[in-house]
Amino acid sequence: MRRWSIRLLPVFAALLVLSPLLRDPASDTYPLSTYPMFATDRGNVHRIATAVERTDDGFVRLSPKLIAGTDEAVLASVTVTRAVRLGEADILCEEILERLGADRQIEVRTETLDVVVLSVEGSADSTVTVHARCGGGP
Amino acid sequence: MTQRLAMLRILVFAYAAVWTVVRAPHLLDAIDLAPRRFDGIGPLWWLNEPAPALAIIAAVALTPIACGAAALGWRYRASSLTAVVGFLFLTTYRNSWGQIFHTENLAALHMGVLALVPAAAACWSMGKAERALHKTETDHEALSSAVLKALSVLTVGTYFLAGIAKLRISGFGWIDGDVLRHQIAFDNARKELLGDPKAPFGALMLRNSWTLAPAAIAAIVVELAAPLALVGRRIAWIWAGMAMVFHFAILAVMAIVFPYHLLGIALSPLLPIERLGTAVAGWHCRFRRRSMRLRSTG
Repeated sequence: MRRWSIRLLPVFAALLVLSPLLRDPASDTYPLSTYPMFATDRGNVHRIATAVERTDDGFVRLSPKLIAGTDEAVLASVTVTRAVRLGEADILCEEILERLGADRQIEVRTETLDVVVLSVEGSADSTVTVHARCGGGP
Repeated sequence: MTQRLAMLRILVFAYAAVWTVVRAPHLLDAIDLAPRRFDGIGPLWWLNEPAPALAIIAAVALTPIACGAAALGWRYRASSLTAVVGFLFLTTYRNSWGQIFHTENLAALHMGVLALVPAAAACWSMGKAERALHKTETDHEALSSAVLKALSVLTVGTYFLAGIAKLRISGFGWIDGDVLRHQIAFDNARKELLGDPKAPFGALMLRNSWTLAPAAIAAIVVELAAPLALVGRRIAWIWAGMAMVFHFAILAVMAIVFPYHLLGIALSPLLPIERLGTAVAGWHCRFRRRSMRLRSTG
């Protein structure tokens, strides 16, 4: 690398790291991100897509690893949301069943609830919409 | 400045090596993910389907070795470039499954700059000194200084961008605390519904809602004031301290880990981090002297 270009390196670095300012802030990529992650007002009522195992007593929540084959909850959440949006809840349900065992019963669903109440009180009334159910079980 | 640059080389590439090893199970999980979920982004925008399993395994195996070699300064040109390509590939690939994470961006950018400059391996290195490339010591110091400024600009630039994104998307309404309340609540609720541990202090902060507006103001001040850290060392120390508090607060109320930042490596281009190296070198010398004395008296 030539010496003059090294001296201009801070300028190049500034142009590079600030270049996402030219994009729509919601148009994110990697590694030159617009960093929109905490910027949007999400409101307090949310539809959160998830998957649970049905049991005799009700249901048991599943880990991100069982839901989406990853240890990242965010990635698992995005995976279920995407499957529901694209009408692929059945496929996802079968994938989860494969990880858990055929004798279990899985439900891919959306829970609509007040996230502030859930976080503060530890529980909140929710409306459940079931998108897919698969497996044996109860 | 030469020593500071060398210390940064050690910290940044060592971080990347450890990160790749620790996250190897997660990175390898991608082999079994359903191909329909893949959507290449950034440097992998051209990739329409998942990479072959062998490529992932090779990248997971070779990247920490290259990062380790670059940290040690061994065959620096080759090792640092291999490390950057490997790390960028793995982190981009990880981000190409529908969720873009924001934890490794700065590490990748720092590695990119360090790999461009062989002078980063000029001291505290297993490789041959690269000083011969430059005519004088003063010249070398000036070059190191320019590289350090570039690394510092990248650090403060990412914080500044995050602050600007909040204003561009939500306007000044972001500082009234409501957006923060909903972000904390949503993140914790999502974790609960997806069987992940919640943040230890999220509920406490939401119960004490008077803390939200001051916290939102503090967050946006840390982000928008980041460029001031380039002005002088004292301001850099103050800002770095505030940024560390900011990241520990995010960890406490949202259980989101920014390891590169929490370890202080992201902020180290702004600080006299070379003292860490000289302290370690000093301990090493004292240890050697003591063991030689013991050997001669024993």
